[in-house]
Amino acid sequence: MADFAGWEMPIQYAGGIVAEHLATRKNAGLFDVSHMGRFRIRGEKAADFLQRFLTNNILNLSPGDSQYTIMANPEGGVIDDAYLYQLDRSDYLLVVNASNAQTDFEYLRSHVSAFDGVTLTDISESLAMIALQGPQSETILRTLLEDGTLPPKRRNALSRAAVCGAQATVARTGYTGEPICFEVFIAAEAVGLLWDALLDGGAEPVGLGARDTLRLEAGLPLYGHEFGVGPDGAEIGALACPIARYAVSFDQSKGEYVGKAALLRQAEARKRYAAGDFSQTSDLPRVIRSFRLTDSGVARAETVVYDRDKPVGSVTSGTVAPYWVTSKDGDTWRLTDQTGRRAIGLALVAPEVVFDAVLEADVRQRRLKMRLVRRNLDNRSGDIALAEIE
Amino acid sequence: MMIDPDARYLKSHEWAKKDGNRIAVGLTAYAIEQLGDIVYLELPEVGRTLKQGEMFGVIESVKSASDMYAPVGGKVVEVNTSACDNPDSLKQDAYGAGWLMKIEPTDPAELDGLMDAAAYRTFLETEA
Repeated sequence: MADFAGWEMPIQYAGGIVAEHLATRKNAGLFDVSHMGRFRIRGEKAADFLQRFLTNNILNLSPGDSQYTIMANPEGGVIDDAYLYQLDRSDYLLVVNASNAQTDFEYLRSHVSAFDGVTLTDISESLAMIALQGPQSETILRTLLEDGTLPPKRRNALSRAAVCGAQATVARTGYTGEPICFEVFIAAEAVGLLWDALLDGGAEPVGLGARDTLRLEAGLPLYGHEFGVGPDGAEIGALACPIARYAVSFDQSKGEYVGKAALLRQAEARKRYAAGDFSQTSDLPRVIRSFRLTDSGVARAETVVYDRDKPVGSVTSGTVAPYWVTSKDGDTWRLTDQTGRRAIGLALVAPEVVFDAVLEADVRQRRLKMRLVRRNLDNRSGDIALAEIE
Repeated sequence: MMIDPDARYLKSHEWAKKDGNRIAVGLTAYAIEQLGDIVYLELPEVGRTLKQGEMFGVIESVKSASDMYAPVGGKVVEVNTSACDNPDSLKQDAYGAGWLMKIEPTDPAELDGLMDAAAYRTFLETEA
């Protein structure tokens, strides 16, 4: 057990981090994520309020839908990253990081009074949240439905359903990179029953350790590592993270919002980088990239990364993650019974460092070879996520 | 076996045991269990001379890297390369096949100054 933002959380259950990671990729992992902050925002002008303080475009949402979003500061840095669920036109659920929940709530509360009739409530204690992730999760969850439906099969979709005698909101969201993934919001009194029923159905409980290896393999950012202040002491631009582009909208319909001008400059910088122009990098001096070590060892957070003699960045998160060896059956990939392990992570590097560049991580005065890669996990098609090895 | 009655111990959970005129060194079953899945071992070069208490290597689990310290001073004469190739194997036999290095001690009496099994057990129960 470990203290995590004031919550006592298991690093691992009986299976251990490696087994829990592998079980999630092949079967289904069950995560207690009730430590995360949950705020309910209601009122006719709730959308206007959220448009102003979050970076994504709420007009892209319809009831029963959700989106990844960011609470940016005026400099284009990240106060927090979050998920916004539209329960109804004037009823929203915002899920934030546990470590920032207090700060986020105070920040939003200090601005909400300017929006007539909008209420902001911290419902983290009363509404529990669990995540069920992996290829078998849909089958396991479906058998527990007493009423209602699972969300339509597309990422971010929501539904209402009754499970274990209680009403639940079910979302196709998650933090593992699994194509089949659910997060379930249910009254705190009912979550114990649901948890046990999902375990009985065959899900494996997963602690914080594997939650981290899974998100890292999927290249997903974590506040305090890929967002916030970087290893170099400077604030990391929101758009340094490739996935952040899905959370930031410059659509005219969204209008002005906190951080927009700085984020626009970061987006322009990314466009220049994509065109091979690195003449002006001050708006976004570093970008986040996935890497794999090709030497044996582990490169953990703050390890300095070199291109020959020149330091070009630092590791922001690094670990060893297990994977299932894959094989191809005709046109379909499947997971075999063989497993391997590899050292992977995310690094904050100069934008001109190209993909597939062979760099060196300085681990305890030893130089370990590493390669920047587009991804460590391929979840772009099908129902399973495949480890990319080569 | 959580504690080997024949070994001597450091508070940092290394064990040391006579092996002929050498001293075998490893990490205790307790430490290995605490670390969880072990993924990487960094051991010293054969021939290196270590002082008592000097850091001799690193053991990495999925979640963290931990330094390991020499229970006695001396020359490293052998390291367990098969443990490096399969670090998870330490779990199976921490005090036997899971040895990490063998030392030709500079001063064999250093061993007697370390915690014995009973003292290590008390240490685990009260402080660790």
